[in-house]
Amino acid sequence: MSTFRTPYNLIIAGVGGQGNVLISQLIARAFIKKGFQAIVGETYGVSQRGGSVMSHVRLTKTGEIAPIIPPGKGDFVLGLEPMETLRILKMFGNPDIHAMTNVRPIAPLDVIIGTLSYPSLDGILKAIQTLSSQAWTLDASAIALEMGNALLTNMVMVGAMIGTKILPLTMGDFIDILRTHTNKKNLEDNVQALQKGSEAVKN
Amino acid sequence: MKKLLSGNEAIARGAYEAGVTFASAYPGTPSTEILETVAREYPEIYAEWSPNEKVALEVAMGAAFTGARAMASMKHVGVNVAADPLMTLSYTGICGGLVLITADDPQLYSSQNEQDNRNYAKFAKIPMLEPSDSQEAKDFVVRGFDISEQFDTPVMVRSVTRVSHARTPVELKERKAAPMEVQIRKDPPKYVMLPVYGRKRHVVVEERFLKLKEFAETFELNRMEMNDPEIGIITSGISYQYAKEVFPNASYLKLGMVWPLPDKMLREFRSKVKKLYVIEELDPFIEEYLKILGIQVDLGKDVLPRCGELTPSIVKEKVTGEPEKLFLSNPENIPPRPPNMCPGCPHRGMFYTIKKLKLYAAGDIGCYTLGALPPLTSLDTCVCMGASIGHAMGMSKALGDEGRGKFVAVIGDSTFMHSGMTGLADVAYNKSYATVIIADNRITAMTGAQEHPATGYTVRGEPTHAVDFAELGKALGFKNIVKANPYDLEAYEKILKEEVEKDEPSLIVNQGPCALLKRALPKPKKPYFVDTDTCIGCKKCVGLGCPAISWNAEVGTTAEGKKRKGYATIEPTLCNGCGLCYQVCSVEAIKTEDKVFFGLVENL
Repeated sequence: MSTFRTPYNLIIAGVGGQGNVLISQLIARAFIKKGFQAIVGETYGVSQRGGSVMSHVRLTKTGEIAPIIPPGKGDFVLGLEPMETLRILKMFGNPDIHAMTNVRPIAPLDVIIGTLSYPSLDGILKAIQTLSSQAWTLDASAIALEMGNALLTNMVMVGAMIGTKILPLTMGDFIDILRTHTNKKNLEDNVQALQKGSEAVKN
Repeated sequence: MKKLLSGNEAIARGAYEAGVTFASAYPGTPSTEILETVAREYPEIYAEWSPNEKVALEVAMGAAFTGARAMASMKHVGVNVAADPLMTLSYTGICGGLVLITADDPQLYSSQNEQDNRNYAKFAKIPMLEPSDSQEAKDFVVRGFDISEQFDTPVMVRSVTRVSHARTPVELKERKAAPMEVQIRKDPPKYVMLPVYGRKRHVVVEERFLKLKEFAETFELNRMEMNDPEIGIITSGISYQYAKEVFPNASYLKLGMVWPLPDKMLREFRSKVKKLYVIEELDPFIEEYLKILGIQVDLGKDVLPRCGELTPSIVKEKVTGEPEKLFLSNPENIPPRPPNMCPGCPHRGMFYTIKKLKLYAAGDIGCYTLGALPPLTSLDTCVCMGASIGHAMGMSKALGDEGRGKFVAVIGDSTFMHSGMTGLADVAYNKSYATVIIADNRITAMTGAQEHPATGYTVRGEPTHAVDFAELGKALGFKNIVKANPYDLEAYEKILKEEVEKDEPSLIVNQGPCALLKRALPKPKKPYFVDTDTCIGCKKCVGLGCPAISWNAEVGTTAEGKKRKGYATIEPTLCNGCGLCYQVCSVEAIKTEDKVFFGLVENL
């Protein structure tokens, strides 16, 4: 955590419908509560119909920063889908970047109809390792499904990100934000998912 | 404490704090969340989805003419629709403050063009403010209402996707009551634009413009930030953020008001800096003005692009000539991920049939525009809201009898309410044989489920009258009106074939609700699955382009020993049981444990 310098550029990569935009807001709110300036830039448009979606969360000590992260300037990629994680690393990667990815692939249209094939998962994960200073991979979808709700996948991912201790954000900080944004029933499940994510990167 | 708000949420908050009591809009990316926020958060404000942007501005005018503060919001191309009232609203002026929000879309993230709506302020001779983040978006809206009343003019506030959809911290304030009393105010010379009155009002517009120019010279939102005098940058809006990130030490003239521009201030800034850069997205709007004033510009659109949005890296690369270095090229080939129609989408069966019948489809704006993309590739035009019907009408007259049976118009329900009715009247009135399909999915789907006059609900979810398309078609002169289930491929094909062959106009009204419209889909259906022993790999189901169906290229044989190149599978968490693949399968390999009916709801 001692190496945390601002502006810090966090990118959340995924596919339309995965809940990308919501978790970027929650993360930004958690950092604001810790005294950071946080701005979130979102690129979706028509992509809510299953296209690529990325959110840029930029953390600063003062304001005056654009809502778009320049190419090559990412500090952390939180990828909800492996191919999207790699797509982001290609654009925003640098020798110091950290990357974390869910390993569950979602096939894009060309793959569905058989005109292109999905790259080998092994190949993608190796490329993610090569293109980052440190990378974590986990089957967050499987963990969430084990808990009985695929919608918890993102919480598992956020828990894992917090578990790396790369960012100055504790589980408590994030749960505080969840408390004001989810109902009690969901809160328990979300907290459990966060913890499972955190444990997953410890092992 | 500050709150993290998107630019659109901040605009809504600005309206609230300014004492606005009336807000209207037609949904359109990136503006949609403005009215959604007003409707959700601020019950003090009357809110409506208007049928289109022209109506949205007209109703806001009506409210403002009584002394109320009113806000109309729309996307950039929506202002084209509202341009007719806007140009003359400039003449009448307002009474209570009126702010028109234009949310522009540089880079066309979700639009048919990337026009620069700063030109509208110049064209209509009205002031335009341009915020660069959420705090400014809120503050500028509040300030816009003051200016509107002070100068008796509508005020435009221009956002762009990167302001509307970015979230930055905003300091909230209390709501203040609007200053004017709300009442009927008769004043025909001001509000009745007969030529005799309009001529006089034009003079008022020109005088007002000169006053606004004077005002711009001392307006607090136009500010100089004097740092290193070597480079001075004139900029506004989101471009300010990009420039500031790349050149933190340069001097700036940040224009909060981009029209009218402050001549003296521009000259003064020029005299204080050695080199003058103008950093602006899209058109050289400020730069050309400087050139008219004879002010030397050292860098502007000679290097910066006119197309697409700017980014900090584009600004850096173009200005300094040094491109950002990318870390590594990518060793894996990454397939693109374009948007696609959802599993169970009612449009899929329609496009499948259009493709099968080899029809040309004049298209329109909505989710169904995605029908132009592979694998269905069956939409042939998309220009503006409502144009599909006009295109089909024009084609029918140009082609004459040769064209019969060869084309249709496809328009969504919300788009039809927006701009389709006049075109439909033309088809019947001028005796075309064109067939028009209203792809009615009961919601404005592409922008994320907004109500419209045919859904039966208001923006706040109150039940209301729902326009009946079949009755409307009848009233406009259509004799052939058919309600059709787009999931029932055999029946739909038969209807489409029959209607396009007729020598009279036909109206087909699709009956399938949007697959994401929860209120129309009470009982979820069980997913279909592929019997992979039976699948012969003919790829017919794959040709539907359904996100739930995947192709597995694996050479092998069926249980009966037939050779195949692969087989299809259905992802159970994505399939919602619409039954299209079941119908196209040539060997009955697609099965379900549920009751078989075509669509997500029975008896469409």
